[in-house]
Amino acid sequence: MVMATLTAPVWRRTLSPWFFPALLCLAIMVVLVLWPLTTLFYQSAVDPQTGRASLAGFRTFFQDPTYTQAFINTVRLGLTSVIGTLLLGAPLAYVVARYEFPGKSVVALLPLATIVLPDIITSQAWLMLLGNNGVVRLALEDFGIYLPSFYGWFGMSWVLILNDYTYVYIGMLAALKAIDGSIEEAAVNLGASNLRRALTVTLPVVAPALLINAMIVFTLAVDNFSIPMIVGGRVDVLSSLTYTTFLSEMGGNPTMQSVLAVVSVLLVGFVLFVQKRLVERKTYHMQQGRAPRPLKTRGLPAIFLTGTAVLFVAFSLVPATIVVLGAFTKASGPVMQYGTFTLENMERALRYAPQPIFNSLKLASVAAVAGTCFAIVASYLIVKKRMWVVSVLDYVVMLPLAISGTVLGIALIHTYNSGFIVLTGTWVIMAAAYFVRKVPFSIRSASASLYSIPDSIEEASINLGVSPVASFFKVVLPLMKPAILAAAILMWVTSLAEISATIVLYYGGMETMPIQMFRQIDAGYLAIASAYGVILMTVILVPVYLAVRFLKLDLFSSG
Amino acid sequence: MADISIDAVAKRYGDTTIIDRLSLDIRHGEFFTLLGPSGCGKTTLLRMIAGFVTPDEGRIVIDGQDVTRLPAHKRETGMVFQDYALFPDKTVFDNTAYGLRVRRFSAADIKHKVGQILDRVELGHLQHRYPGELSGGQRQRVALARALVIEPRVLLMDEPLSNLDAKLRIQMRDVIRQLQQELDITAIFVTHDQEEALSMSDRIALLRNGRIDQLDTPEGLYARPGTSYAADFIGAANLIKIDSVQSDGDAGHVMVNGARLTLPQQEIDGDVCLAARPEHISLRDAADQGDNDVPGEVIYRRYLGFKAAYSVRLGDGQTVTVDVYSAQDPVYAPGAKVALRFESGCRLVRA
Repeated sequence: MVMATLTAPVWRRTLSPWFFPALLCLAIMVVLVLWPLTTLFYQSAVDPQTGRASLAGFRTFFQDPTYTQAFINTVRLGLTSVIGTLLLGAPLAYVVARYEFPGKSVVALLPLATIVLPDIITSQAWLMLLGNNGVVRLALEDFGIYLPSFYGWFGMSWVLILNDYTYVYIGMLAALKAIDGSIEEAAVNLGASNLRRALTVTLPVVAPALLINAMIVFTLAVDNFSIPMIVGGRVDVLSSLTYTTFLSEMGGNPTMQSVLAVVSVLLVGFVLFVQKRLVERKTYHMQQGRAPRPLKTRGLPAIFLTGTAVLFVAFSLVPATIVVLGAFTKASGPVMQYGTFTLENMERALRYAPQPIFNSLKLASVAAVAGTCFAIVASYLIVKKRMWVVSVLDYVVMLPLAISGTVLGIALIHTYNSGFIVLTGTWVIMAAAYFVRKVPFSIRSASASLYSIPDSIEEASINLGVSPVASFFKVVLPLMKPAILAAAILMWVTSLAEISATIVLYYGGMETMPIQMFRQIDAGYLAIASAYGVILMTVILVPVYLAVRFLKLDLFSSG
Repeated sequence: MADISIDAVAKRYGDTTIIDRLSLDIRHGEFFTLLGPSGCGKTTLLRMIAGFVTPDEGRIVIDGQDVTRLPAHKRETGMVFQDYALFPDKTVFDNTAYGLRVRRFSAADIKHKVGQILDRVELGHLQHRYPGELSGGQRQRVALARALVIEPRVLLMDEPLSNLDAKLRIQMRDVIRQLQQELDITAIFVTHDQEEALSMSDRIALLRNGRIDQLDTPEGLYARPGTSYAADFIGAANLIKIDSVQSDGDAGHVMVNGARLTLPQQEIDGDVCLAARPEHISLRDAADQGDNDVPGEVIYRRYLGFKAAYSVRLGDGQTVTVDVYSAQDPVYAPGAKVALRFESGCRLVRA
C-alpha cells in the first residue's frame, strides 16, 4: 500500500519557548563578562594617546623585571600551593576513606573551617600567630628558636596551603569512594602487595581527580588577592601588582593594568584548558561497585590516625579561634595584650559596622538571588535544551572561572565608566561582579542535579496536559530545590567574603565587611580587625549552620 | 476511545531516516503493538503520536482531528514511560492526581477518581507512599493509573515492561490487557519482545528501518510471515536456502538439497527462501527417509526439559534447528544420520 498523496511539509521550525530565555541569559553574560573582557584585551594592545594598535604594554611587561618577576612569582606560588595541598590533602583523604578510627567524624568540620571561612580571616589569624609580633613567634624565641620572617614566601605558602588543601581532600575523597572495590581485590588476588596495589591500581584510577583538583588549587592561588596583600611583604604576584598598578594608574593610562590582567587571564585560561583536556581524555568509566570497606584500626595505629585527624582539624580551626580571641583582647595600636579582656573592640566595630554589614548583606543577597535565578534557567537550558544559543552559553558561563576578581573589577570599571551604560561608582557594578564570580559554581551544582532528573519526568507532565514551561516549574524545579538552595547559600556566603573584586570596585559609603577588615589589618589594628572578623564569621556561619541543621543540605557535595 | 490515522509520516535526522513515509490506521478500542528491534523507529513513532517528536512530513489524525501540529500537552494521550517517569517528590496519590488537577476537577472528584483507579490496579492501600518506597511492579501500576485516570483518547506505552523481572513481566501483561479491555480504550504498545506482542495485541505492526514490514494479527504474523525478517523475528525460524521453485497447478514444489518438497501454493516473487519453524520439522532415522525428506547429520542436542532442540547439518552445510518434544524424542547422539521432514506450516518467504 503506497500512499501517493504528497502532504505539504509541516511547519518545521517551531520556535522553542526557551529560545528567548536562552538569548536573555547570553545577553547578560555578554554584558557582564564577554564585553568587559574584550575591552580589557583591546586596552592592553592600544596606545591610549594615539588610539593605534600598540604592543608597548606587553614589551614593558617582558622588559621590566618588576613585571616578569611578578609573573614568575605567581607561577611559583601556584606550584608551591599545588605541591603543599597535594601532600596534605591526598593522604588525609586516603586515611579517611580507608580506615576507621576513633573520632573520625571530626574531619567533617574541615570544609566548613577552610572553604567557608574567608581567606582574609585566615591570613589575619596566622599573622597574629606568626607575624612580627606573633604569639607563637615570640613564644618560640623564648626557647631560642627564631622563625624566618612571616612576610613573603613563608607566610603566603603557609596560609595558602592551609586554606586550600581541603579542595584536594574533598575531590580525592569523592574519587576514592567512587572506586569499585573489586578492582583492588583483583590486584590482591593476582598477588600484588598492599603498597604495590595502592601504587599500581588505586593511584592511577584516582590520578585524574588528583590532577584536576591540583589545577583548581593552582587557579585559586593565581586568583587570590588578600593573602599576597596581607602577608606577601615585598614579594609581588600578578594579583597584588595589578591592584597596585591600578591604584597608581587611576584615571590615567590604563595600559599596564590591562596588560597584567590579560596575562593573568591567559595564565588561568591555559591551566583551565589543560584541565578540560585532561578531564576529557583521562576519566575512566568505572563500573558501579561497592567502595572498599574502611579498615578498623586499634592500638597504636588508631592513636596515630586519631592524632593526625585532630591535628588537621585543630590547624584549620586555629584562625577562627584566634580571631575570636583577638576580638576580645585589649590592644595598644598594633600590639596585642593577650590575657586581657575587653568589649571595646566589639563595641567600636559594631558602632562603625552597621553600614558595611548592611552593604555586604545587600550586595550578597542581590548577587545570590540573581545568580540563583540565572543558574536555574541557564543550567536547565544547558542540560536539557540543545540549540545554538545554548551551546554558546555553555562556554560563556564558565568563562568567569578564568578571570580573577581584581581583573574582573578592572574590566568592569573600564567598560562601564562612560558611554551607553554607566555603572562605575554604583553598587550595581559590585553586585554584578559578585554575580559573575560565583555564578559558574551555582550553574555547576544546578547542572549536576539536573543530569540526575530524567527527561521522561518532564514529558510525563506535558503528556498529562501541562505546558512545557509550566511543567518545568511544577515538576523539575521542585526536584532541583535542594541543590539550588545549597548553591544559593554558598553563593551568598562566598559573596559576603569577596574582596578581590570589591577592592577595586568599592567607593566611599559602599565599604563591605572584608574591606573594613582589610583596612584595619593594613593599618596594623589587629584587635579591631578581629572584631570585624567575628561579625563577618557570625553572619556567614549562622546561615550555613541553619541550612545544614534544618534544611539538611549537603553544601559540599558538588560545590 | 479513538481511531488513529497515521498518514505518510516521515522523520529524518540528518542523513538517517528514522520513519520512512509510514502509514497505518488504528481502530477504536484496539490493542495495537509496534514491534521491532532497537532502531526500527517504533519509539519515535509513538513519541510522534504523543507529540514529543514533530514529523518532517505527513499527518497524524486522532478521532478525525489533525494533531500533527498540536502541542503535546493538548493531545489528551496517556503515556506510560519505559522508566515510569513518576514524580519522585510526590506520593502515589499526588502522582495519580496530577493530570486531574491540571484539568481542574474538584477535590472530591479527584479523590473519588484516584481512589477508584488505584483500587483497580490494587494500590489503594499505598496511596501515601512515595515512588522510592515502591517495588518495580508497583511503580509500573502507578504509571498506568496516572495515565488512565485522565481518561485519555489513547493509551501509549513505551516498553513499559522492560524494567521488570521475567515473572512480573508476564503478570503485568495480563493486568494491562485486562484493564485495556475493561476500559475499552485504544492502546498503542511499543515493544521489542515478540512474546509480549503476541500475547497482548489485537494487531501487530512489525517495523523494520522505519517502515512496516508486516501488519497482521498475532496469529497471522506467526502463521504466515511474509518475509524472512518477520519469520525470524516472530518466533524462531530456520531460513533455508532453496535450489529452485517449481509450480504445477495447486501445489508448489521447492528443491532443497536435492530433495523435492511440496508446499501449499503461494503467490510470491523475487528472491525467496524456506521458512521452517523448529516445531514444524520432524526427525526420523536416515533408514526411514521418505521421498520428500532431506538427509542430515546431528551436530548436537540441547535438552530443555519439555523438549530437546537438535542442530542438524544438511548436505550443503546449512544448519537447521529442530524441536522434538521430550515424549517423542528418540535421543540421537551427535553424528547420527537422520532425515528431516518439513511438515505443513513451512512456507516460502521473501529473503
